[in-house]
Amino acid sequence: MNPRVELERGLRAARIGYTALCVWLREKIPAWWDRAWGRDPAKRNYSRIHQRNAEQIFRTATRLRGLLLKVCQVVGTRSDVFPPEYVRTLQRAQDRVPPRSFEVIRGVVEAQLGKPLDAVFSSFEPTALASASLAQVHRARLLDGREVAVKVQYPDIEHIVRTDLATLRRICILYERFDPQPIELLPLLDELQTHLALELDFRREIENADRIRALFANDPAVIVPQIDYAHSGERVITMELVAGIKANDRAGLEAAGIEPQEVVQGLTSLWNQMIMGLGFFHADPHPGNVLIQPGPRFVILDFGLAKQLPKGFGLGLFELMFSMMTENESAMIRAFKELGFRTKTGDPESYRRIAREMMSSARRGDVRGELTEEMTDELMASIRKDPIVSVPSDFVLVARVFALLSGIAHTLGGRPNTLDSLAGNR
Amino acid sequence: MSKLDWTRDELLADLPYDEPLVAGGVRCHGGFRGGRYVSPRTANRVPAIDAWQARLRAEGHRLVDVPRAFVPPHYPNYPQAKLLLQEGVRDPVTRSLTLISIVEGFGARIRELSLPDLRKEVVEDLSGTALSHLEGGLFEAHARDEAGWREEGGHKQMWEAARDLGLAKPEIPDDVLLAMMMGGGRGERKRLFPELSHRLEDAITFMANVMVVEIFAEDVFEWAKKLLGDPEVSADPAGAPALVSHIQADEKPHVEYLRTALSELRARTLRSHEGKSQISGQRVIDGILETQLRQMASTRPQRERADVQKAIRLALDDAPRAAALATRFEGLDSGWAFPEHGDSRLELTLP
Repeated sequence: MNPRVELERGLRAARIGYTALCVWLREKIPAWWDRAWGRDPAKRNYSRIHQRNAEQIFRTATRLRGLLLKVCQVVGTRSDVFPPEYVRTLQRAQDRVPPRSFEVIRGVVEAQLGKPLDAVFSSFEPTALASASLAQVHRARLLDGREVAVKVQYPDIEHIVRTDLATLRRICILYERFDPQPIELLPLLDELQTHLALELDFRREIENADRIRALFANDPAVIVPQIDYAHSGERVITMELVAGIKANDRAGLEAAGIEPQEVVQGLTSLWNQMIMGLGFFHADPHPGNVLIQPGPRFVILDFGLAKQLPKGFGLGLFELMFSMMTENESAMIRAFKELGFRTKTGDPESYRRIAREMMSSARRGDVRGELTEEMTDELMASIRKDPIVSVPSDFVLVARVFALLSGIAHTLGGRPNTLDSLAGNR
Repeated sequence: MSKLDWTRDELLADLPYDEPLVAGGVRCHGGFRGGRYVSPRTANRVPAIDAWQARLRAEGHRLVDVPRAFVPPHYPNYPQAKLLLQEGVRDPVTRSLTLISIVEGFGARIRELSLPDLRKEVVEDLSGTALSHLEGGLFEAHARDEAGWREEGGHKQMWEAARDLGLAKPEIPDDVLLAMMMGGGRGERKRLFPELSHRLEDAITFMANVMVVEIFAEDVFEWAKKLLGDPEVSADPAGAPALVSHIQADEKPHVEYLRTALSELRARTLRSHEGKSQISGQRVIDGILETQLRQMASTRPQRERADVQKAIRLALDDAPRAAALATRFEGLDSGWAFPEHGDSRLELTLP
């Protein structure tokens, strides 16, 4: 292997290792200190320490990019596992990804298509429309005149991911050897590895887009851009360029005569339909991935993260939301069990406590069946407090979707009504 | 005169019972006293409704009603459903019972209904009426009956238990929620009385809708009791229909308080939104009720029938002897047509 590449990888691993060491020491030294003075470390307030650590991880990730940014995004979604300081800080990784240079991107596109850029495109914007942890998107025009968006995977991303995963795995093993962690990191890493393998193959993303387009084939309010299969592959997706207003751009929507509350209700209905009705859903509805056209019509983008839910999950989720809305504690406990929430002892009191906390949160506002950002946070906080409860990963993903939608609703000043959407009212 | 004013706690109060109702392992509302089922929250609610109705009649007014002729039969009907179960085609019946349980649960949404200040929008006095108690316990009792509350299950859970007992815990088809989501209407409902405030017309429409659904449910109860009580197809021909009977008993106060409140409005005069004119309550209630009925008893059953037929055909495709079974199934259809205009059975009030 090229010694320069080897050196870069070594440096990368060293930077990750250094950050991990700082984080670990920052967490451990105060605990050792407390124990030395006969105090209980569990009583210490770790909020500032968590915040400093989260900031350092974020800085390292934005510098090294690649997998680390993805890890930050994952941590930013796992409020059931990580303290809120990490979740809040690392969520920012979603929109802080600087684009790569055009020359690098050109190389990937030409290698994928087996042709020079100008043999396929009459124009190709050198400035990216958007950039993320694994890829970036450029506006272009095909030779036949069609305007397209071209999503291009970063050239070295597969190697970076492999190196970083190995480094992170070593760090996790070391962490657990030195000190049993309250958070089980290796299963999270395994989950990430599985997801990444799927996300790095764009052909799978194309399949996801096709599947969701087919599910909504009879619904003119839903637009999934058409894929140009001839100019797409493992590392490049060429798709129809569809215009629209970002889902959380209230001023833009109002200027276009689109009622924000209709957008809020429409988004809730769409995702309820996918999650509870169809069992297959787009799992990343952040505002950049949903554009709105007059109608309102909903343009759904980026299908890298889509999920098939297990049989019965939709009905279980409906039962949970419905029982919460109707303050039916025993039904809520049954729904938790049906969804796959587990306690080590099987003690129903754990479920009851979580149910009560969620209902007390629901009672503060007049809940209309939605799982709001606040309620999701409270659920996850109460789960973190009780380590004997494990949360099914499908539920975590779905809760994140609802939290994202709730965030959009909040920005637009609207309130979704889940039960209305289940009754078929969009 | 009987007592006409009740507190919220009084209207939510239970009659005493010796043992609670446990259905399919779930503690439900109500219970048994001397071996007889006692509906929940009926200690004062039933006498209160009786008193309001007696007062209305004494004042010379009639109670609104939905004649039997309007009620579309459940589809698939009892012989059809029995045939399907006997032939091992269980999904359509399971789907139907599951949808009933969900729709019952949705009845709890009545507590979300935001009533306008009726004292401002109704000309006559409202004291001592069901109308003045809607938000003072009647809606809440209805909501708790339908969806359960705290530790107790309600009709939603009781229907689920009846289904699971009768059909031996069947596998629930994946498309149940999707069927419901696709069934709704989109867009704004056309207003019938734009001179009224939006909230008043919406509230009347909602209540009329719920009342009609509750009355239509009578046919569903009879269908479910026959089917789930049939030892040839039911795994628990005693327990499953008994639960349906309990739900049926619980529903009576719902129909009666809504019938009473709508009749009280019908007997009064409503103010226009701007307060410039007055409209007869009779014109408004009859107009809304007729429209609701026409929509619910004609358009909706047709659509639901088409949906169920489609689902059954899909299920039959997988069944052995599909074509022959389909013919037998269609042969058992009882059919139904919306009553003709001018039909004498269409009087919307009780004699």
